[in-house]
Amino acid sequence: MDETKKVAIVVSECSFDKGVMAMMIANTAASMGMEVHMFFTFFGLNLLKKGARPKLPGTYRLFTRTFEKKMSKVGIPQFGEQLNMAKEQGVNIYACSTSMELMNVKEGDITEGAKIIGAAGFLNIAANTDMQYFIG
Amino acid sequence: MPIVQLAKKIKTMEVGQELELVSDDVGSKEDIPAWCQRTGNQLIGMKELGKNYTYHIKKLK
Repeated sequence: MDETKKVAIVVSECSFDKGVMAMMIANTAASMGMEVHMFFTFFGLNLLKKGARPKLPGTYRLFTRTFEKKMSKVGIPQFGEQLNMAKEQGVNIYACSTSMELMNVKEGDITEGAKIIGAAGFLNIAANTDMQYFIG
Repeated sequence: MPIVQLAKKIKTMEVGQELELVSDDVGSKEDIPAWCQRTGNQLIGMKELGKNYTYHIKKLK
């Protein structure tokens, strides 16, 4: 095996599909022994609010519940479960400090275990990673 | 997510122990060998029977 691979993921949107997909990549990478860093910025920050339940985008939002049921059938956990799974697996979760100020989100509104950092802090981490993903 | 369950299970096992995994996901044919390669565990064998794929994985580390 090569040395530990590192992954950086930026999440800038809060729709159901983007949130779930980002978590699936993160959880899969962590299961493969990779070190994962996720930066939630702009609307992506909403995904880190306590009890977040993202909806499908646009008019599809009405079908979110149906989609969640389909996911359960295929064995894909819901967003909240996946976020907990990621924490359990040691995925590093970061909330963007600038976005928090911009959208008036307080530290207490953010899920436990998330670290608050700025763009420079995250870029410093991302600079030392092998793979970088932008989900937005 | 089966791959996460696999990782969790392997963590609870001793080095040298083997695990049998059955999947009905055609994607597992690529995913399981990739997972083994990445994590440094050994894929001892793989069998395809109908829509089921059976893998034998030996924990190496």
